[in-house]
Amino acid sequence: MVVVGAGIVGAATCYFLSQRGFRVRLIEASAPASAASGAADGAVSVASKRPGPMMTAALAGIALYRQLERDGLFAGLFKSRPTMMVAENEKEAEKLVEHSAALAGEGMRLRHLEGGALRQHLPGVAPHVRLAVEVGEEGHAIGYEIVRRLIAASGVTVERGVAVTGLAPKSDGKTVTAVRTARGAVEADHVVIAAGGGSAALLGLPDATRPRKGQLVVTERSPALAASLPGSLMSCRYLLSKDAIRAASAETGRRFGLVIDPLRTGQFLIGSTREEREDTGNDHDAVSRLLASAVKLMPALAHLRAIRVFAGVRTATRDGLPIVGRMPDIENLLVATGFEGDGICLGPLVGREIARLVAGETTELDLTPFAPGRFEPRSLVA
Amino acid sequence: MDRPADIVCDTLVVGGGAAGVAAAAELCRAGLTVELAEQRPALGGAYYRQPAGRAAGMQAGDRRARQWSRLEDELRRAAVTPRLRHVFLGVDTDGLVLLDDRNGGRVRTVRTRAVIVAVGAVERVLPRPGWQLDGVVTAGGLQMLIKETGEAPRGDIVIAGNGPLAVALAADLARLGRPPVAVVEAGDPLARPLAALRMAAFPGLVAEAAAHLVRVRAAGTPWLRGSRLTSISREDGRLLASIEDRNGATRRIRADTVALHDGIRPNDFGLPATARGEPFVLRAGDCREALGVGAAEADGRAAAREAVALLTGTAPRRHAPEVSRQRRAQAVLGALFKPVRDDGGLAALPDETVLCRCEGRTVGQLRAMLTEPDPVGPREIKLNGRFGMGSCQGRFCADNVQALIAAARPGTVAGPLSRDRWPARPVLIAALAAEEETREE
Amino acid sequence: MSAGSFLWKGVAVPFREGESVAAALMRAGIRNLGRDGAGAGLRYFCGIGACQNCVVSVGGSVVEACLTPACEGMAVEAVEMAHG
Repeated sequence: MVVVGAGIVGAATCYFLSQRGFRVRLIEASAPASAASGAADGAVSVASKRPGPMMTAALAGIALYRQLERDGLFAGLFKSRPTMMVAENEKEAEKLVEHSAALAGEGMRLRHLEGGALRQHLPGVAPHVRLAVEVGEEGHAIGYEIVRRLIAASGVTVERGVAVTGLAPKSDGKTVTAVRTARGAVEADHVVIAAGGGSAALLGLPDATRPRKGQLVVTERSPALAASLPGSLMSCRYLLSKDAIRAASAETGRRFGLVIDPLRTGQFLIGSTREEREDTGNDHDAVSRLLASAVKLMPALAHLRAIRVFAGVRTATRDGLPIVGRMPDIENLLVATGFEGDGICLGPLVGREIARLVAGETTELDLTPFAPGRFEPRSLVA
Repeated sequence: MDRPADIVCDTLVVGGGAAGVAAAAELCRAGLTVELAEQRPALGGAYYRQPAGRAAGMQAGDRRARQWSRLEDELRRAAVTPRLRHVFLGVDTDGLVLLDDRNGGRVRTVRTRAVIVAVGAVERVLPRPGWQLDGVVTAGGLQMLIKETGEAPRGDIVIAGNGPLAVALAADLARLGRPPVAVVEAGDPLARPLAALRMAAFPGLVAEAAAHLVRVRAAGTPWLRGSRLTSISREDGRLLASIEDRNGATRRIRADTVALHDGIRPNDFGLPATARGEPFVLRAGDCREALGVGAAEADGRAAAREAVALLTGTAPRRHAPEVSRQRRAQAVLGALFKPVRDDGGLAALPDETVLCRCEGRTVGQLRAMLTEPDPVGPREIKLNGRFGMGSCQGRFCADNVQALIAAARPGTVAGPLSRDRWPARPVLIAALAAEEETREE
Repeated sequence: MSAGSFLWKGVAVPFREGESVAAALMRAGIRNLGRDGAGAGLRYFCGIGACQNCVVSVGGSVVEACLTPACEGMAVEAVEMAHG
């Protein structure tokens, strides 16, 4: 078994395959969690999802985190906490009410907070906040910690600094026999491509994905302030942000979607932007606007210092759904990518399902909506 | 991207010490507009640190004092008004330079064609149990205190580490009537005759060093050469320093202040890489290469000439004979002060020794990560071990973490833990947040 | 910024003209600046704003004491008061 990419999806796949007794080689171009998984906001969340395959997947993803935390694999790494979706004006409040009705329709437990109840439950949010909807049963996990734990538990040594340059198909074109690397070919009876933005090119699906950058800020520790928040704060604008991207076809501007997350350490993680770019730099314009909206929502943040500003690059797909499953017509080649900001939430789940596919078992999650076959394939990069 | 920059100028110099002031004056002389940013309320840098508004602590006849006066005059004639209490944060991806204006409580953006960064050096401090206790300072920090207050902290002082700064500090203290009770030195300069001979090429430095030594000796301060301060503990409200000599014999000295110093290195944490497109980013002085104040002025002028050449499209010449000379001097000083025992004591450090003070991470926790079967890289060590993830951004632990990694993996070169990202220093969200909320659609 | 006194945790601390809050505190023998958000002890260390060990709270915001000029009547608190 060769798994390409040691981000959260590759690490989880590697773990679940190892659990089944398969011998796995985990090949990574740089180092574990060096791309999006290591620059993530860590949301394990269904709050911003619309009913449909992504919501179903997110619910299953959260459930798996809880289970793995209980079972010990993710002990100490998964912080169970609600997401508070907040509306700061009438338009947002309407949107939020509509959205929460959809969530409630799927059986989710929500709590609407207004007026006195809102002030009491969220004393730190600004007075102009009209409505907060608490989505319980959510959580947070730090991507690189999860990656490290999965790799350690799998017992596999990561092959770092090894870039996969292509795949070696058999002459009949129905299977791959190896992956090509700078250090030579690595044979495999199954290959899983979990290489984020690098996946599509390897699979002959060059237009299927595109990079989508997000900038984030980390503050110094403020345990008292962090403790005053019962969960993460998500501005309704986040909903509009994801919507707008899906609607637009050739989007060159950028969107801001505010999430204020209190971390275990007492630090705050404040994010993020959505930009059609693949660099990991930060610009003052984006960061200063992000922070302005954060301070507007939670004024006490103004007194904290930012100690780190960074960016991650999500892998987005043309239709907004991840690409998970067997490549059409190639029985031993699988792909798992395109999670656009849901990678942390879905990583362990997808790893488990891919391992099931490889082992010839039925998956618990219906993967049909994510089928790689929905994209026009070109020939594999050999 | 849409908002105009707060400040627009041809060139920006960051740092108001010898290198920065010399660079600013030189740039102005070349006909360019210059802004000069300095984090303190007054110019001077580390060497020429003086309390703002008070009489200079240095003697008028002092060679260095004259040099600084000359530099200040040059700057005044150049009509450069320094922006004081402005902390350099870095350069963003739009090429905007960011300065944290601590007076105004706002981050100022600067559109400039060239930046000369002259933010000086930071001290190396090897980890020892107890280095995180209050009362423990760096030698440079103690020098800063006595320059600023004009007096030494009360009680007994021990200076420990490696390098000539310790002796200079001891002499400063002796001049104030407060000589340290001991100077613990890992090297043994009196037993390096070849290096001592090479010092003859630098008579100015020799004279300075000799003057320091004479004063320290006259004050009766023992100079414990070939010795290491191995741990500090607190006892009865005072500090107890354990010292081990070259034969392994130990002694303990009571003190109220312990000043540590194991060398200096460029304070280049979070600094943007040298850039070859606008804004050009150049470094000058100790933050480019830690050669001390003797080289700083020459290096600042050389950087300015290089910037002018880049901006006018001519070939940059960074030739500065004084800098080369100081480099040779530092090499000889390094040889003269070479530690008697090589490993710096890292292997002997107890597991509970604090390594990353900001995040409370110990030497033992790093060792545990290094013995895991999967060979984690420096970035993984940083993220998962949290070394260097705190507010000092690795300034006082990154080197030590790298040294421990290298010691555990002989033959490998551990990559850097810090990256060149802004903010180079922590910055208040109130200062960084945009003033009006803009509709981003 | 001329000589006077500021408050450290409500108690007056004298300063001379041009001194930073850190220098004045050291001169007054006040070395323990409390604990930071990670529980580590705060104190004067490097003097150049690099180590972040001497942070204090002024006006509710965290600043390096060694880079903050002492001002008459300034109310300086320990960081833990502001941030817990």
